[in-house]
Amino acid sequence: MQSNHSGWRIDRRAALTAALALIAAAPALAQEGLGTAAAPVEVRMIANEAFARQWQTAMVPEFNKKFPHVKVTIDGVPYNELLAKSLLDVTGASPLYDVIIADDPWTPQLAQTGSLLDLKKDAAAWTDKDFDWDDFNAAPLAASSWNGVQYGVPLRSNMLLMFYNRTLYQKAGVPEPTPKLTWDEYMAQAPKLVQDTKGGGKPDAWAIGTYFMRDVLTPTIWQTILNSNGGQLLDKDMKPAFVTPDGIKALQTHIDLVKFAPPGAASHGFNESLQAFRQGQVATMFMWGSVFKGTAVDAATTTLKPEQVGIQVMPAGSKGPGAHRGIWSGVVSKKSKNPRAAFALLQWLSSKEGEKWHANTLGVFPARKSTLAAKPESDWLVPVYAALQQAYEAAQAGQMWRPRHPKSDAVQQALADETARAISGQATAEAALKAAAARIERVLR
Amino acid sequence: MASVQTRRGGARGAALRDLAGRWAFMAPAAALLGLTLAYPIFYTIQISFSELNLGTFQPDGFVGWDNYRTVIEDDRFWQALRVTAIYLVAALPLQIVLGFSIAWLINAEWQGRGVVRALFIIPMVVAPVVAGGVWRMILDPLWGLANHLIGLFGLGPVDWLGDPTLAMATVVIIDTWRWTPFVVLIATAAILALPKEVFEAADVDGANWWYKLRWIALPLLMPMIAATFVVRWLGAVKMFDIALAATGGGPGHATAVINLFIYDEAFRSLRFAESSAMAIIVLALTMILTGLFLLGARRLERRY
Repeated sequence: MQSNHSGWRIDRRAALTAALALIAAAPALAQEGLGTAAAPVEVRMIANEAFARQWQTAMVPEFNKKFPHVKVTIDGVPYNELLAKSLLDVTGASPLYDVIIADDPWTPQLAQTGSLLDLKKDAAAWTDKDFDWDDFNAAPLAASSWNGVQYGVPLRSNMLLMFYNRTLYQKAGVPEPTPKLTWDEYMAQAPKLVQDTKGGGKPDAWAIGTYFMRDVLTPTIWQTILNSNGGQLLDKDMKPAFVTPDGIKALQTHIDLVKFAPPGAASHGFNESLQAFRQGQVATMFMWGSVFKGTAVDAATTTLKPEQVGIQVMPAGSKGPGAHRGIWSGVVSKKSKNPRAAFALLQWLSSKEGEKWHANTLGVFPARKSTLAAKPESDWLVPVYAALQQAYEAAQAGQMWRPRHPKSDAVQQALADETARAISGQATAEAALKAAAARIERVLR
Repeated sequence: MASVQTRRGGARGAALRDLAGRWAFMAPAAALLGLTLAYPIFYTIQISFSELNLGTFQPDGFVGWDNYRTVIEDDRFWQALRVTAIYLVAALPLQIVLGFSIAWLINAEWQGRGVVRALFIIPMVVAPVVAGGVWRMILDPLWGLANHLIGLFGLGPVDWLGDPTLAMATVVIIDTWRWTPFVVLIATAAILALPKEVFEAADVDGANWWYKLRWIALPLLMPMIAATFVVRWLGAVKMFDIALAATGGGPGHATAVINLFIYDEAFRSLRFAESSAMAIIVLALTMILTGLFLLGARRLERRY
């Protein structure tokens, strides 16, 4: 009896200990997959080297304030190698990366391997109740969806916009552009924007700086003109649909822009056009909005002041203003060993709270309507947010983005090659478009 | 009889041991070469005869010569080969002539020769992508140094990178700037190794500098010139980075050399199977031409 009694006491003590242990472990169980102090989990990300280090040093510590037991390592890779490396990794037997940061046209290519999590289904249980999917603008969110599945969230949003130098517009006596400015009006004003501002007897300021060189982003300029006139690169059957009078006119407009650009502009791309604008040598620039801070605010990189620089959507065609989408989205590998932690990182960074921190601290453009509607911490962001919101709406209405197809990069490369031939005078606009169409048909066959 | 057989057996055993010893030393290097050279080549050959499944990134089904047929029917492939040929025909002789001429000049005794020799090494150690980028800035028509300098003489502005013909000339200039020092280094060593007594004898006979150069130095240097040409040819045929950094292959297709074209097709258009077929064709062409150049070099060696 004694022994029985003693046994009961021991059992009761054991039960009590177990219950206490359970109570103590409850939060840990709730956070399963997010690591503990004793056993942190690791999330590895592959991203463009242009911002990988900034994220590693500034964003990860901020994330760790909320998720201290998730160790995040970000590997930066040059843009040109990023897609091939991501594809190689995600299709491997045991991928190194849990999170891939994919450029706008890459989601179909990555998704067709069957190696990505469907965030609205596979990650639904880990999604916070207050994570508002509907708050995202449709255009940036659509960058990481394909065939009706949402594979990612927008993390760094960007749009091709029109920058203009108010001082050069005033000197030329040309009215400042408004979102209603059409391509025809802009082309009529362009000769006046080529001017001799210093009285040296020859032009020292030109109308336009943008992509003209052999580069996959160069065709986005005439693609935007085509889109703003209601045209599309590919039809619903994924057949080239740009060898039309509208397509030829759009490319011809792009070719004609060279006449009003600085000498040697045929070999200009991102760096050269940006440099020319920042040095006050061109009146307008069609460029990614994300360069605004370095172009108008940061004295270390620009000669211009915020009040000198205007930003808006690109000139309008018959269907409305133009823009072109360029969104970096985060996707999670299906074979990730820590998918919950990987999703936690993406969820936090794209949440209302995370996006606001990201925009205000690192100057990264937001995708959420609520962030764009709120007053930003810096005044210079006010006109930028207004232009961005307009651009999202224009892009969504005119489907202004690169082709959504697993072979999108091959399509864009064909367009880049032929656009370069046309701009350098080696082919007419029509011949270049026909050659591009024939190549794209072969690629998509 | 038995002792003869024993001796023969012993000799064979020694020969086998010797062979085994040699292969024991060779094996690690052979294995390393097999892994780093043979495996990628055979894998490329395998892909070139297959459809590459981008979903698994593995060769998926034998397609015979289809990829090769696609490549051969692609005008852009032949265009890229033409561009490469233009570059090679322009750049290689220029680098060899310049390299040996500079080596001949700096071989003479003059003050500061050591510093100039050291400075010559700099272009070789600059990363090609950096070199391409720096030259891009120097040649920019708007704010580049090159146009500023020729502008002082009332010339220009010249669109070095925007004009298709000039862009190729620009790539040749950058490549020559980068690789001539390499030729100078080899040529300097070759010139220093020339037998002095032959030149002394020529001096005694009253030969002038041109006679000594044309009839003594050049024939003696010919095998080395040929060997340098082959070495530079093997380097030049792989040229890719300078074109990528300086012109991106443009304007149009003007500087899209074959390796840049293969790179674009593989890593931008993700056409790995066709790109592998291109790489194998280029490898075969390079091997044939290298064989011919080596034969020519051997003949020159025998002749001189």
